[in-house]
Amino acid sequence: MMANAGDKFSRLAALKPARGAAQRPATLRAPDETDALSRLLGARIARNHCGEHLAIRNWFATPEFCEPSPVALDLLTKVPARQASASGRYKNRGRDESISRRTRAAVQNPEKWLFLDTETTGLAGGTGTYAFLVGLAWWDAGGLQVEQLFMRDFSEEHSLLHELSARLAERPVLVTFNGKSFDWPLLENRFTMTRAIRVPSLAAHLDLLHPARALWKLRLGSVRLVELERHVLDAARLGWHREDDVSSALIPQYYFDYLRGGSAKPLAGVVKHNQMDLRGLAALFGKINSLLDERETSHQLADSLDLFGLSRYLNRRGEQERAHSMCAQALGAGLPAEFRSQATRELAVMAKRRGDVERAAALWLELVHDPLDGVAACEHLAIYYERNARDLQRAVEFAQLALAKLQRQCAHSRDPYATARAARAEKKLLCRLERLWHRMERSAGRAHAPLLAHSAAAVASSRSR
Amino acid sequence: MSDSLAVRLAKTTSPVPSAGSTSLARVSQVLDTFAARDSNGEVLTAVRHYPAREAQWAEFPEWIHTDLRAAYSAKGIRQLYTHQAAAAEAVHAGKNVVIVTPTASGKTLCYNLPILNAILGDTDTRALYLFPTKALAQDQLAELYDLNQRLENRFGVFTYDGDTPSDARKSIREKSHIVLTNPDMLHTGILPHHTRWTRLFENLRYIVVDELHNYRGVFGSHLCNVLRRLRRIAKFYGREPQFICCSATIANPGDLASRLIEDNVEVLAENGAPAAEKTLVFYYPPVVNRALGIRRSYINEASRVSQEFLKHDLQTMVFANSRLHTEIILTYLQQANPQLPGRAETIRGYRGGYLPNERREIERGLREGRIRGVVTTSAMELGIDVGSLDTVVMAGYPGTIAATWQRAGRAGRRSGSSCAVLVASSSPLDQFIVRHPDYFFGNTPEHAFIQPDNLEILINHLKCAAFELPIGPQERFGDVDLRDLCARLAEAGYLHLAGENYHWTNEAYPADSISLRSVTSDNFVIIDITGQPLVIGEVDFPSALTTVHEKAIYLHGGQQYHVEHLDFKERKASVKQVEVDYYTDAIRYTQVRVLEVAATATKSEDSSSCDLADMESSSAGPLHLAHAWSHGDVLVRSQVVGFKKIKFFTNENVGAGQLELPENEMHTTSYWITLERPLLESLPYAISERQSGMFGLLHALESVATLLLMCDARDLGTAIGERPPAPDADEIVVLSEAKDLRANARNPWMSGEKEFFEPNLYLFDAYPGGIGFSEPLYRAHELLVHKTRELIRACPCEQGCPSCVGPAGDLAPRAKEAALAILDRLCG
Repeated sequence: MMANAGDKFSRLAALKPARGAAQRPATLRAPDETDALSRLLGARIARNHCGEHLAIRNWFATPEFCEPSPVALDLLTKVPARQASASGRYKNRGRDESISRRTRAAVQNPEKWLFLDTETTGLAGGTGTYAFLVGLAWWDAGGLQVEQLFMRDFSEEHSLLHELSARLAERPVLVTFNGKSFDWPLLENRFTMTRAIRVPSLAAHLDLLHPARALWKLRLGSVRLVELERHVLDAARLGWHREDDVSSALIPQYYFDYLRGGSAKPLAGVVKHNQMDLRGLAALFGKINSLLDERETSHQLADSLDLFGLSRYLNRRGEQERAHSMCAQALGAGLPAEFRSQATRELAVMAKRRGDVERAAALWLELVHDPLDGVAACEHLAIYYERNARDLQRAVEFAQLALAKLQRQCAHSRDPYATARAARAEKKLLCRLERLWHRMERSAGRAHAPLLAHSAAAVASSRSR
Repeated sequence: MSDSLAVRLAKTTSPVPSAGSTSLARVSQVLDTFAARDSNGEVLTAVRHYPAREAQWAEFPEWIHTDLRAAYSAKGIRQLYTHQAAAAEAVHAGKNVVIVTPTASGKTLCYNLPILNAILGDTDTRALYLFPTKALAQDQLAELYDLNQRLENRFGVFTYDGDTPSDARKSIREKSHIVLTNPDMLHTGILPHHTRWTRLFENLRYIVVDELHNYRGVFGSHLCNVLRRLRRIAKFYGREPQFICCSATIANPGDLASRLIEDNVEVLAENGAPAAEKTLVFYYPPVVNRALGIRRSYINEASRVSQEFLKHDLQTMVFANSRLHTEIILTYLQQANPQLPGRAETIRGYRGGYLPNERREIERGLREGRIRGVVTTSAMELGIDVGSLDTVVMAGYPGTIAATWQRAGRAGRRSGSSCAVLVASSSPLDQFIVRHPDYFFGNTPEHAFIQPDNLEILINHLKCAAFELPIGPQERFGDVDLRDLCARLAEAGYLHLAGENYHWTNEAYPADSISLRSVTSDNFVIIDITGQPLVIGEVDFPSALTTVHEKAIYLHGGQQYHVEHLDFKERKASVKQVEVDYYTDAIRYTQVRVLEVAATATKSEDSSSCDLADMESSSAGPLHLAHAWSHGDVLVRSQVVGFKKIKFFTNENVGAGQLELPENEMHTTSYWITLERPLLESLPYAISERQSGMFGLLHALESVATLLLMCDARDLGTAIGERPPAPDADEIVVLSEAKDLRANARNPWMSGEKEFFEPNLYLFDAYPGGIGFSEPLYRAHELLVHKTRELIRACPCEQGCPSCVGPAGDLAPRAKEAALAILDRLCG
């Protein structure tokens, strides 16, 4: 059956052309080509007992070393409150997230840090995706030392991974951008696939994607590293440019082309790209570090949206005092209209939580006419007037306003879940109103009778509706 | 006067047992009614009685953990059936086994018992269970969950499939001792991510393949390759797992199992489970028009038989062979058993297109007896637990002996007495079976074939394998040496040789684009837009083209819907509720293009011109007119081009319509006969008669071929096309031919009477890549044409009927004669 497999195969291939596959004839690379490649990439050949690979070392003066602030580190290693409770369901998940003493000690020593960024043969993940270039960097002599490990062929993966494992043993705190869900799981796969080199254990893993998203997503929309360099890190000032940068989407194909005997030249661009990413990553850490550090923030920050992002990030990690002050600053500096009511609401909630009920009430008052938050604002005001200001009359007014707004919203809603939610809220409001009238009756006696009668009628009519 | 059923039974088989249970009394009462109506014994062609069988008991083996024994005992299982004990012993001894037992014989215990015992003994032990569908895995999960509770949750058991929430997956990978999944998930979700499953693979001791008989044809060929990959990964982690397979009765379970797992397998076919009394009846719808060979519609007759059972309060399951027919029968039965006000519907439909919740509700209703009748497709053949039913009615022969027994087994699963009735349709296969009951009762069930080395399938899985683990120099897939194929994949840019190993070098994730279930895994959703848009069901891609094309009448739950719009790109069909008295039937056209001829044999006047002497063609004398037969690779294009409107009850054709739907393309293998010009010219018939005769001949050839191959009629497709001008030319014009002969003969848009010059009569494998029918047919050519001639000659009809060359009304007047004349020349 397999005798004429060759012919059949070519026919099958003709029926289903291999998409975008390079059709270069497989030639043997000339023996001196390795040296040419090393020269091209500025690499030297690294050797260990597993074999060989290329290593490219460079030292950069920018970004400059940045002393990590303990406050920032604490925030970066903390698990957001909501996420922690969610992962409680699967017990073994929270374990590696919680901060042990060892983690804390390691994190606070920048000499234990290793910045990491990989270039891979695809984005799909799984066991058939390789990291052919592993970029590492650490602080050295006031600047950044970059070391890139490159495999000239798949057979060099063992020695590359062995080297990586050695680096991680020296510096077990990993700092990445989206490494928690991409680079590190992929490398874990690679280590497992060797069946010889154990998956290195990390003391901590700081992934800057999440803080970056919290801080700049509002302003930039996209938080790709390139965008951050341009708009947050002020790349131009640092003298960084990416004009001739290779497109990330083409990187796997460049490597495949090279493997099949094609040109190695684009790989030099890939190496450069990876260097830029590592430097961007280190610089980004400096930026986030200074933002999260209390001492520097207020005067350094200009953009109000970044302040608001920072406030939300702090709030989610339980730093309510600072979150409050950042939010207030953001509102003070003036926010775009679409974020103003959101910030006002968050500030009101925070103000209330820290006991500043007067301020909270003032903020809710600003939101009474907001289409989204109006109902909640009125409800909060009803609570405020009932409990704090002790003005039952105004409490009733706001409760009624909330009820009316709620009913108007319901009338337009078709979503059954929203309707059910509204029904529950309505029931709560009606209970509140009942109680308020009851209290008014008891405390004020007959004096407010006409008003009471009026309110009762209003509620009756609203119920019948 | 007709014999009473009792007398007839006495003549044919064992005597009717005394009416012990009430259901038995009612069953025989209904059968007597049928017998009384059947005045000359033409309708009930076979009545076979199978007495109840006692259970054969065995003790729990000594080595079973006491806690496990206690857990089973608490469930009411204190003793094992002999086959369960034998299976447990064989598994315990470390053998690969295949357990062959009918439905409801307690086969899950056969594997659960030894595996759970192993887990209790060593908590590191891991097992993987494979079920063909998610629903079956859910069923098993419920059973294992119950056992686990009795064992104080000492082991972890979870399903892992497309429905598993992603936040639960990590913990399942770590904690699950038993993972219940399906081949598709293994293929796309587990194997390509095996590094996440190290815990499972490093401790994998058992693999259970349930419903083994399902894995035949393309699905089986795919599974075989998935298992090759699975064994490869297990080996990487240092394990060689043991296989436990379960199969319904087929001719070659051991053969199939050992081909699938490519190792020795011990076959355990002894069945120790008790069986209820059972009567199997063949029902041949009465003749309406003898000259035209027309009998009463089998759909109407099946409905009538079912209604008779329902009237006697016997819980009944009706099997139909297509979705359309389930809906038609459902409509009939629901009309006859109207829903009582305030009560739930007692007659329900059950098939693939129903949503999962609706299905679960129907299954529960059947178990609890609330639902008295259910009309279904093959969906209920699998081991879904619906409790025992009293009677089963099959509208049409299920296509194979194995499937017939499987369906009949749905009645009387546990105790009491039961009856299964097969109502024959007009298809030749059905006719043959009811007219020759001895053939059915005297034969073993069908063989299941797989062709794992089908190049297209093999290449696809080789890609996946390379993605999962670089391919080493010594690796083989079964007998196939992978070096050569790898080198070719490397040339095409998929692999790269580094050191000794081939590595995957492509950005794509290969498993994603390879579906294990032939064509495509896409489906269409059906949206009722009568009022607020509401999703009412789904249809898989291949049947969407024939059931929810625009202007079709789609039946769902007995309600008729008119298809307003088919959004092909978005994969959705908008339908509106209507009340009409017709249904629609799609017309499909098929074209075949020969890609490569593997072998050709000819028989001609000049015997020296034979180019392949592997047939006894040298005996061909000067009288023989030229014809050739071949097999090879073909490209089959099919397209739904129109539809017919058919009136309910009378089955009149009341209209037709044209459709423009995209083509389906399939690369497969085929056997074909080429009729050369002199042969056709020697026929003393008009052109139209010749043409019609060829279609009739093909119709008969197909029926005989399915019998010879012991395969399902749906596994073979037919077409007629012009012979290519030269054997290796690939750009040729091919003529189309409808699969549905009746539709073709009457079809209004086939331009006149265009004659084939030298036609090829194709019988092709109806699966992409082919499943190995073509070569056996090529070798059996002589037998095939002789048997076909016998079939047509022996048929008593005058001018053709569905049982031989197709219904007379659809053919030219002398088509049957012409077909016979061609056959005479072929046989020589």
